Formats: sequence, structure tokens, C-alpha cells
Amino acid sequence: MATTIVMNGAAVAADWPGRYHHVDQVLDRPGPRTDPSFQAGDEVKDFLRDKCKILVIGAGGLGCEILANLALSGFKDIHVIDMDTIDISNLNRQFLFRPKNVGKPKATVAAEFIMARVPGVKVTPYYGKIQDKDEDYYMQFKLVICGLDSVEARRWINATLVNMVDPENPESLKPLIDGGTEGFKGQARVILPTISSCYECSLDMLNKPTAFPICTIANTPRLPEHCIEWASVLEWPRVHGDKKMDTDDPEHIGWLYKTALARGKEFNIEGVTYSLTQGVVKNIIPAIASTNAIIAASCCNEAFKIATSSAAYLNNYFMLIGTDSVYSFTFEHEKRPECPVCGGEAVDITISKDLTVDKLIETLIERQDIQIKKPSLSSGPKHLYFQAPPQLEEATRPNLEKPVSELVADGGEITVTATTLPFSLSLRIHYS
Amino acid sequence: MLQNESQTLDEATMNIQPDNKTRRYDRQLRLWAASGQAALESSRILLTSGSATSTSILKNLVLPGIGHFTILDAARTTPADAGNNFFLNADASIGKFRAEEAVPLLRELNESVDGVADTRELEALLQTDEGRKYLASFTLVITHNLPAKTLDQLASLLWQDPTYPPLIVVRSAGFLADFYIQLHEHCVIESHSETAPSLRLTKPFPALQAWADTLDYDKLDPTEHAHVPFALVLIKEADKWRAEHGGALPRAYAEQKAFKAAVRARQRKLDEENYEEAEAQAVRMWSEKSISSDIQALLDLPPVDLRTSPNAAFHALLEALRLFVQDPAGPGSLPLTSTLPDMKTDTESYVKLQRMYKEQARVENALFKEILKKNFPDLRIEDAVVDAFVKNAHHIKLLRGRQSGGFDKDKDALASALQIFPKETVTHLALSALSELLARGAEPASITAEALTAEVHALVGQGVELPNDELEAAAGEVVRAPTADLPNTAAFLGGMVAQEAIKLLTKQYVPVNGYCVIDLVDSWTGIIGAP
Repeated sequence: MATTIVMNGAAVAADWPGRYHHVDQVLDRPGPRTDPSFQAGDEVKDFLRDKCKILVIGAGGLGCEILANLALSGFKDIHVIDMDTIDISNLNRQFLFRPKNVGKPKATVAAEFIMARVPGVKVTPYYGKIQDKDEDYYMQFKLVICGLDSVEARRWINATLVNMVDPENPESLKPLIDGGTEGFKGQARVILPTISSCYECSLDMLNKPTAFPICTIANTPRLPEHCIEWASVLEWPRVHGDKKMDTDDPEHIGWLYKTALARGKEFNIEGVTYSLTQGVVKNIIPAIASTNAIIAASCCNEAFKIATSSAAYLNNYFMLIGTDSVYSFTFEHEKRPECPVCGGEAVDITISKDLTVDKLIETLIERQDIQIKKPSLSSGPKHLYFQAPPQLEEATRPNLEKPVSELVADGGEITVTATTLPFSLSLRIHYS
Repeated sequence: MLQNESQTLDEATMNIQPDNKTRRYDRQLRLWAASGQAALESSRILLTSGSATSTSILKNLVLPGIGHFTILDAARTTPADAGNNFFLNADASIGKFRAEEAVPLLRELNESVDGVADTRELEALLQTDEGRKYLASFTLVITHNLPAKTLDQLASLLWQDPTYPPLIVVRSAGFLADFYIQLHEHCVIESHSETAPSLRLTKPFPALQAWADTLDYDKLDPTEHAHVPFALVLIKEADKWRAEHGGALPRAYAEQKAFKAAVRARQRKLDEENYEEAEAQAVRMWSEKSISSDIQALLDLPPVDLRTSPNAAFHALLEALRLFVQDPAGPGSLPLTSTLPDMKTDTESYVKLQRMYKEQARVENALFKEILKKNFPDLRIEDAVVDAFVKNAHHIKLLRGRQSGGFDKDKDALASALQIFPKETVTHLALSALSELLARGAEPASITAEALTAEVHALVGQGVELPNDELEAAAGEVVRAPTADLPNTAAFLGGMVAQEAIKLLTKQYVPVNGYCVIDLVDSWTGIIGAP
């Protein structure tokens, strides 16, 4: 049995002989495709097990799997961030959680579970938002793995890691491995900030979120989804005023369901169910253990290869579709020169001379490669429109109805910012 | 609202809170629904090992809620097992039965799943009638890195009888792996295909044609004109086109372009989005076949003896479909789908169209059932199954397989796979060569790349050229880590194999037919050896 020693104040079991028999087979010798720089043997093992501090963002479907894989692979200093608490609907896949953990923070429960199951591994949880942490915090890690379900959080960490890169300091470049799943489909990718295509570069690959035009919802509903949107977008504020809708509150969902059902009945639209109501208002994405396992394993395999150089890492995108047989595609996603995060070039945009500032804002919100929710616009020192603070919003509001051409010269640049994004986007305006 | 109507609504919304089980499984029920879940819950799965890969597979089956699992493993936990397997109590499990240590840790993932450790030897079970009966009593059997001789015996046993369970054979060494599903036949009604079924716009049913005929653009007010559903726009335009082109629809690219332009020319104002939608959907007029080639291939299959087939219901339904298509009283095509895509139109027109499709689908469903009953009077098939079959007739699937190992003996198939999928095929062959060498008693750590390469050459036979670079890359990886069950490879396989198991058990979505080969050095997967 292993002896127990005390390290960093925590009881840590020493490695028992033969513990890493499996992993050591690929660390003790190179394969035919291994880079010659690979330092087989003790050196790489020491680095992996003693020096390679790694950050996992998200302790949900992917996060639970990632933590277990990293621990078994030999990473011993793992940090995990998650702002969520455990819900009963997590238990079909988030295998570190039990019914008794419902309501507790995911990061904390997951960390405790891993430490209890895999001796000698230290997992440091943070129950909160990634935005709470600064560059100094992210600088301490060798690698970052993301298992997130939010586009916004991914954009934030991606931009943060790209911004952190200091060409003078190779340590400042933190490889980012990102995974995502939906039903039987998923993808894993490796991002070397500033060197390879970043998350922002590929924003246009995301499925366009289903949005129903307000006029359809209000006047010509056809689908059960239209009735549900009517209940949540139009009827809820009308009936409940300022009371905020909580999609986790069963009573609120119940009210929405009932309201949508009545609307469906009125218009002879079938198919409004409780489950669909929940799905539409919470934007639920189907999720299963097996797909998460595949994608998390792929992410951790890349992390292991980057940390050890035992094999080349993914360059740079792996996507998998498991609905009809198994189809996967491994390819290099190219950097976008006009990527607002890592590209540096301004996006050229041609608009009519009559286009008003508020119409331009609408266009930006809709563009698949930009996806910015509440943009503020300026041109040099000139404020075109600012969403906040209130005084500035009020002062710039009259500009909304003015044509852009009145405020910006042909070939002039507009800087677009949003509070949710840690970067700005440059537009070069041309008039048609 | 009338009082009794509001009461009905209140009743409908009483007790709407889903129960704990529905809440727990919500994210997967959205994929395979209650029918798929019931199939999972009635399944009994046998794993013939408690390796890291095996417990990873089981984890992903216990979580969604299979009925029962057995780990059949006579081995005791080694220090290496304690290091790479999440479902052991680390070093505290060393020396104890691996199966007995793993089962409780897997069971705690889902209280509703039953799990058993069986520490008997598989080899011994294969020698007795009772043992063989026991092995065949499961719904699905999965092996990982089973020695070649035992695997042959197990595969032969389970192949003997088409009612015996399918077998998933999983092999891995370091970063490389493959798996194969041995099955006689697998029938899928709900394949969840993402291609939209035909709306039959080139051959509208009478009610739909009548609506199109009575619709006169010139008599519509501006609001009505902006809300003609694209289905009707296309039917009308096709009628006009046929009248002007000797009864033919657009074929050549130029004709298709002209047809689209004619559709678009119906637009009177820029905000009439229905015509833009019709233009975008015009492709339906020349790409939709009344019967797709996949379905035609199924209809062309020789009839199956229903008395012996384990899938008698499916084959009866398939035969009924064949007769339905030929029936003079029928539409001459597959039954109509009643699910309409959304269209830019007003509520009234959409609901009217939907009701028309529903009514026609109901009529055709009734005809189908009549044919089924007339031809198979003694066969009892649940109405829900027949309805699902009719509804999904455009997307039904039938897979036929062969015995595990058959591909490796089929020299022509191997040679052709080497041409089309060189790296996938040599990776598979390198794993086959490894198990051959181990079966002959080779010491794993002493197997050289040369010996492995020679064995691959022996497997494919003389005169077959092998891609040297790919072979060197695969063989070198195999001999580097011949017995390594790497945690990440195990987890990857755990997901992939569980995914296929779920597809097999639920009979939804489409499983792999052939070998799925995996290389986690270059991060790719591929399929070879489909029968």
C-alpha cells in the first residue's frame, strides 16, 4: 500500500510502483511520429506530474470528464472554475455528482470527488466566474482546457489569453483547448493564441441561433415554438410587469406552458408541451454522457500531448458527428486576418449613405461573424453611440437616427465595443 | 374564453411538473424519447473485462440508465489497473477482484441500474452448455482486448444464432484503437435523419392540387399575396412550367435558373418573403425523388422468411411498404409525411395546409394498415410501431453484418480498403497483427516493429502492396505501447462504444457497420470493412 506524505498542507499518497505502467509506455519511448525534441523518461514525467499546472474551465458535462482524465493521465495540480450549482438534470452525465449534491457548487464537489478517488492529485476549485480572475491568475497555468456551454465565456477567455501573449516572453503563451457537444455531435480544438486560428476566428461556424421575428410571434404564429415565444417575450412582461422571469422556477415555466397552450388552442396549433416550453425558454441543448466522454477525452489527449510532446498535437480542429454511423473530420481552421481578437486588420463594411446609426447597430448584431449584443460605437474621439453609462447614452442617443455618413467620412474607422467582450472591433466604413 | 374550455386547460396543466426520473433524464429524452429510454432500461449488458476501457464504456451506459450490467472478469487488480482505472479504489483495490471493486463504483452512478460482478473465467464458460447459454442470454456483449482465441470462440458462439446478442469487439494499444460490431441484421425505424422528407410538390395529392388550382394571384389582396405558402407557389409555378414545356419539369441548370426566376418574379413588393422562400425551396422540384435510392434498395431486397427472422415485424412492414408503393389505390410513392416545415405565411393558411397533409397522411396510413393486415393477418404489431414506420418510411435503415474477423479473411475487401483508406486499414491490420503475435505467445514488450510489419504482410497475403509510410506509423505506435490502456484512449473509446451500444439498444440513429478505426496521435477516426 502507498505511504502517505504531507505536501502543501494536504495529505498526498505517494505513487505506488507500477501506478503509471500504462501511461509510461508512451513516455518512456518515442513513436514513429514523435517530434525529436521529446525527452523520453524521467524528465517528461517530472514535468507532467510536478510542474504542469493546468486550468479547467467548467465542471459540467465536459468538465467532470476532463478532470478525471487529467488526474489519471498524471496531471497533479489542477484548478477548476465553475459558477454553477448542481441540478438534477445534470445527473445523466455529470458523473462526479450524486442526488445528495444537488444545489451545491459544481467546482467544489467535483474537486473533492477527484481528490478522494485519485490519490496525490490536488484539485483547487473556484466557485465563480472566469471574469473574476485577472491576467496574473491565468498566467500561472501551462495550459487551459475549456468545457463550456456559453459562447460568451469562450469569447472572453479566448480574447484574454490572446491579449496576454507577450512576444518577449514565451511563457505568456497559454495553449487553449476547447471542447463542445450537442447531442451526438461535438468538436475539440487546439488554439495557440496569436499563432493559430482562435475562437473568434471561427465564430461564423456556429449554428445561427433560432430567432423568431416578433411579427410572426405576435401576428402569424404557426409553430408551437411561436406560441411559447409569445408567452415568454410578450405576455410575461405584459402580465407580470417588471417581475423577472426565472426559467428555473417551475411555477414560471408552468405559467408559460399554460399561456402558450391557450395561445396554441386559439390558433389551432398543436404540439405545445411542458418539455418543449422548457426547451425553448431555456434554450436546452440535448446532452449525453457518451458524446461528452469522446470530446473530453480528445481535449485531454491533446493536453497530454502538448504537455509531454509524446506525440504531435491536433492542428487544430476535430469535429465528430455520431448520428449516422461515425463521421469525423480533422482539419486546420485558418486564422482570419480581420479577426477582431487576433487578426488586427479592420473589417471592411460597405453601407448605404442613408443607413442610420441604429440600423448599423442592428446589422452588427445580426452578422454571424460579429455577434455582438449591445455594441457601443465610436470613431476616433467622437462618440457615435454608447449603451452606458446613462448620461453618455442620453447624450449620444440623438445620433441613432442620423445617417452614419453624417458622422464618419468614407474610409473612416468605427470602433465597436461591448461590455461583455474584452476586445474592440474596428470597422472601416465605405459608402455605396 | 368559455368556462369549460378554461377548465380543460386547467386540467391539462395540473400535474404538469415532470417527475424526478424525467427531470434526471431530460437532456437525453430529447434525443431518444421515452421509447428509446424504455429500450435502454430493459437491456442487460455483459462486459468481459474490467479494464479502464471497459469501465469507461459502462460508465456511459449506466449514466443514461441501462437495466443491468455484468462485469465478467477473473483478474485481480494490479498496481497498473489501480493507476489507470477511475472505477477502482486506487491502491486500496490492488490484489482484490477487479470486477468486484468496479461494480459498486459504477452502480453508485445511477441507483436504478443493477450491476453484478462475475469472477468466473470466460474461457471456462465457453466450454459448457450452461456457460454458453448464459453468455447468449444478454442483450449485448462487449469485449476489450480479448485474446484472439477466446474472441474467436465467443464470436462464433454469438454468431451461431441470429437471435443471440450482438457483440462489440474493442481493441486498443496506446494511442491506437478499433472496434467492430458483430450483428446479423439491425433494423432502424427512427434513424433521426436530418434530410427533410418529400412534400410531394411535384405530384400533389388531390386536395392540395385543388387548392393550388383555385388560387388566383390576381384575386388576392396584398396581405394574402404576401402570405401564399411556398408549397403552393411552387405547385402553381410547376403547373405553368409543365404546360409550357410539354409536361416536363425543369431539368438542365438553365431551366432550373429560369424556373427560380419565374418564382421570384411573383414577388410584388420587397417584403414578400414567401416568394424568396419559394425560390430557395425550388430545388425540391428537381431533387426530390418519390423513392430515394437507399429506400429503393431496401424494397428490392429478396423477401425474408418471417417464421425465422428475429426482425419479422420490420420485414413484414417492409413488404407492406413494397405493396403500398405498387398499390393502384395508393400514391405510387412512400406514404406522405405529416410534418410540415415552417413557411412564411399566415396562421390560417399554415394550419389549413397542415390539416390537409395530416388528412392525406391519415388516409395513406389507413391504406398501409389495410395492406399489412390483408397480407399478414396473423402478425401482431403494435399500432404505435406501424405508425412510426409509416411516418419514418423515408428514413428507415437496415444494416447487415458479418462475423467478427470476416474482413481480415476477405483478401479482396482488404486489398480494396488498402487502396481507398490506407492509413485506416493498416492501423486496423497492425492491431490484428498484435493480437496474432500475442496469441502465439510473444512477450508484449519484446515485439519489434519488424515482427509486427511481417505479420501484417502475412495477414494480407502475397502480392498485396502495403502503404509503407502509413504502415510504419501504425506499427511503430503499436509496438511502442502494446499493452497500454491509456486513460484518454480508454475514455475516448468509452464514449464511442457506448454511443454505438445506445444506438443498437434503442434501435434509433444509425450504428457503425464495419470497423471504426481510431488514431489519437493524429486525432482522426475512420470506417472500413463495411460488408
